[in-house]
Amino acid sequence: MSIEVRGVGKRYGDFVALDDINVSLPTGQLTALLGPSGGGKSTLLRIIAGLESADTGTVDIEGVDATTLPPQKRNVGFVFQHYAVFKHMSVAKNVAFGLEIRKRPKAEVKAKVAELLELVHLSQFAHRLPSQLSGGQRQRLALARALAVEPSVLLLDEPFGALDAKVRKELRDWLRRLHDEVHVTTVFVTHDQEEALEVADEIVVINEGRIEQIGSPDQLYDEPANDFVMGFLGAVTRLGPLVLRPHDIEVAVAPGVPGSSAGVVQRALRVGFEVRLTVDVEGQDEQVLVVLSRAHARALDLELGSKVWLSPTTGATTVPALAVPREAVASA
Amino acid sequence: MTDTLVAPPGPARTTSRPSGLFRLTPTSGIGLGVALVWFSILVLLPLAAVVGAAAAGGWGAFWNTLTDAQTFAALRLTVLEAAGVTVVNAVIGTVVAWVLVRDHFFGKRILDVVIDIPFALPTIVAGLVLLSLYGPESPVGINIVNTRQGIFLALLFVTLPFVVRTVQPVLIELDADVEEAAASLGASRLTTFRRIILPSLVPAITAGSSLGFARAISEFGSLVLISGNTPYQTEVASLKILKFIEGDNQAGAAAVAVLLLLVAIVTIVGLDLLSRRVANRG
Repeated sequence: MSIEVRGVGKRYGDFVALDDINVSLPTGQLTALLGPSGGGKSTLLRIIAGLESADTGTVDIEGVDATTLPPQKRNVGFVFQHYAVFKHMSVAKNVAFGLEIRKRPKAEVKAKVAELLELVHLSQFAHRLPSQLSGGQRQRLALARALAVEPSVLLLDEPFGALDAKVRKELRDWLRRLHDEVHVTTVFVTHDQEEALEVADEIVVINEGRIEQIGSPDQLYDEPANDFVMGFLGAVTRLGPLVLRPHDIEVAVAPGVPGSSAGVVQRALRVGFEVRLTVDVEGQDEQVLVVLSRAHARALDLELGSKVWLSPTTGATTVPALAVPREAVASA
Repeated sequence: MTDTLVAPPGPARTTSRPSGLFRLTPTSGIGLGVALVWFSILVLLPLAAVVGAAAAGGWGAFWNTLTDAQTFAALRLTVLEAAGVTVVNAVIGTVVAWVLVRDHFFGKRILDVVIDIPFALPTIVAGLVLLSLYGPESPVGINIVNTRQGIFLALLFVTLPFVVRTVQPVLIELDADVEEAAASLGASRLTTFRRIILPSLVPAITAGSSLGFARAISEFGSLVLISGNTPYQTEVASLKILKFIEGDNQAGAAAVAVLLLLVAIVTIVGLDLLSRRVANRG
């Protein structure tokens, strides 16, 4: 195991940022810490980096107890949301910084910087100042700078959070490819479930200072441990006693399926290739959201006021409806 | 239509957009005019008048005044004292600013206000303040009146806030991220300060030092009471100017003034160049 976190807790006054966190991150893996803002994921990352100290518990990095080591001694690379580039240094100087303070020979530094700038596609900007780069370029520079010292783990704190949607998506794909090339153990913090599902090998869902679930993207999506995880990973809706995804609801225009709930279509919204229905179901205050393909909706000849019978599709991912988390309602 | 598409749009473009160096919109023209008139009345014309007065006696008189042993001693003392004070201020001012921004202690807000007192006090009062503690009737038994140390102390007193007040806002604006990034790359606190923080502060330190230096070479009020004004020993340029005027030697006064002006300009430009070099070196 590359990073071993045991029993880590952290409080700020009365606020419990982290409560007894236990997690093992294997060498070479790309892990996402996913959760809502203020849930403690950034604090955990900063504790692993040594930028913050835990009140309780231990952190091992590559088999060494790093709990009391200062950040300088942990050999971790850290990438910040707002780049944290050294503004007065050229791009090449930024990347060279970690190597220069390690007193590496000049020729070696030069070769390594050239190699890394090549890797992050910034070779032609080597002599520019960071202020002359775009946000995406600055973040790639920050990444190259962190990788220069050959860290045993690479930690990224909301690395794409400050970038616009298009650049974010590009960098996300690029990070995945970079990781496949470089194979450094990587942990990144994000509140964007799509980002986590798309990039990570493993996702740790953190909420209110606790770990809700650890698993592969597929596991999390298909077998959520609770309604929070289910709600955080995608849109959900409630049908009778179950919480399930809107696209996991079967729509029929006649009663037939046993246990199906009768309802009336209140609203139909077409977004691209899908149709989103809002259905009033008998005996349920909350409206049910249903997503189906446009072709399917057309085949059923649905319109406002149509009477429909809803049931979970076979193999649908469901969790019992205890309390539907607020995030789920917001994103639904 | 095709003509306009094919024709090189060079001349058309220059008329549509004022890209020339001296092209002004009516409002910016008025603004620039007001600024220049104001600046001329207050600064440029009086400066020119002083230079004119210095030149009135001819080059020979100008040169004689400055090479006069007593005047030269006064000028040398002024510049050396000011330079020494500037160096001390650059270091101590940065430390004080650092403490005020980065440390948390009881009475910090009060200290923050007190810093400005030497600047806010009328300088003659500053002299009086120093005299009451370090004068002939000193309660602590230290008498600095009529010594070069006394001049140094008085200059330190009146120039204290400059570096503090220029460095402080820059220090507040510095990203904590950047220092954390340096730490995670393996940089010690000292290395981080030297290679990351200091280069960001250098422009502010230089600006504050320039102001302090300019103030120091021109200081008058606080020195009237402290310096004792002994020729060759503790006579400074500003008091020398007063003596020339009292002796009805306008040209001599103007000559010293012009030299002080030159020293100030050279220093400010020199410090600015230095700061650019250091800030870009990293």
